[in-house]
Amino acid sequence: MTTEVLATVRHHEEVMGTVVSFEVTNADGARSRDAIARACRRLHELDAVLSLWIPESPMSRVRAGVLPLDAAPPEITEVLTLCRGAVALSEGWFDPWAMPGGVDPTGLAKGWALEQAIAVLAESGCEAAMCNGGGDVALLGAPPGSTSWRIGIQHPWRRDALAAAIEATAGAVATSGSYERGAHLIDPRTGEPALVAASATVVGPSLAIADALATALAVGGDPVLDAVRRLDGYDAYLIRLDGSEASTEGIHLA
Amino acid sequence: MKLRAVKLRAALMGSTAAGFAAVLALHGGATPSVAVGPTRSPTPTTTPSQVPSGTRSATGPIEQYGYGKLAVTVTVKGHAITDVHVVGLQTAEQYSQSLAQQVVPMLRNEVLTAQSAQVNGISGATYTAQAYLTSLQAALDTLHV
Repeated sequence: MTTEVLATVRHHEEVMGTVVSFEVTNADGARSRDAIARACRRLHELDAVLSLWIPESPMSRVRAGVLPLDAAPPEITEVLTLCRGAVALSEGWFDPWAMPGGVDPTGLAKGWALEQAIAVLAESGCEAAMCNGGGDVALLGAPPGSTSWRIGIQHPWRRDALAAAIEATAGAVATSGSYERGAHLIDPRTGEPALVAASATVVGPSLAIADALATALAVGGDPVLDAVRRLDGYDAYLIRLDGSEASTEGIHLA
Repeated sequence: MKLRAVKLRAALMGSTAAGFAAVLALHGGATPSVAVGPTRSPTPTTTPSQVPSGTRSATGPIEQYGYGKLAVTVTVKGHAITDVHVVGLQTAEQYSQSLAQQVVPMLRNEVLTAQSAQVNGISGATYTAQAYLTSLQAALDTLHV
């Protein structure tokens, strides 16, 4: 697992209802392992606060209306503030307040948590890192010997294939679709399960925002592609249910 | 940061490998350009002189993924990957077993075509593919290929 000068440490952590993969490069492998341990602790902390699968979590209690926001942990305020921004950026196609059963920031919270994890790695002096949680990928730097990370986009119908690959140095790649876990996305306009995209990918500087926009793109399709087109720094790649594809200008379809 | 990309034109069979022909590239505001054909990392992590010319094998660590665990053994001759196969595939569920049986041979073909595990991660990934590539990369690292 080591090259001549830089050590790459890989780790998988079960947290947030998925498996989060870490790949961290540093001149000092022990330092990387220590940084990953800190990042994992942060993910577990955030999961305990934000999970809606845990009935007693602060987020579950906020959702149920038994914990007022001003008494909730600051992470919840921060996530919900970002959610309000994402509602605007997605032109309403991402809307945690339109979910059945109360406010549900899950479509942004996982990306945000992974972003916090990569921030822990950066603060710990890691030169390059990838943090991949069930398809939401946060990136720092570039792997040794390369100028960028290569992130494959899972093909929506062929589990053994990629639809495309993205090269990125820092930032985020988020993909939403129905293939990995079954249809689980809700159209905020109807409150019903909906999906107009087979695969919806958003790339940009923030994984929290990219995650929310990918969720929006999966249920909104082309109108959301237009919304992303108007955003600085973000691009999107859509595979529609009929297999046709579309993307923002930053992505050239050959 | 601006994304630039080429979409894969290959029939998505070997997309883990051939798919790299079609690269969505992200660069800091640079002029868009088009990547054509499979590309390799610009800078090899080791120099050719460090790699023995004979046939050698290495097994990557057992990677856990959402539905089980697997490890990948890779055989190389010089810089060329001559074989790759999965050892210690364990899956928890029926679903995952049939999935793994489909995925693993495909990934094997892709790797032999690409000659290198060129994807660092997968967005929207099956856990199987992720674990496979992680273990393979570790095995290649061991061999300094």
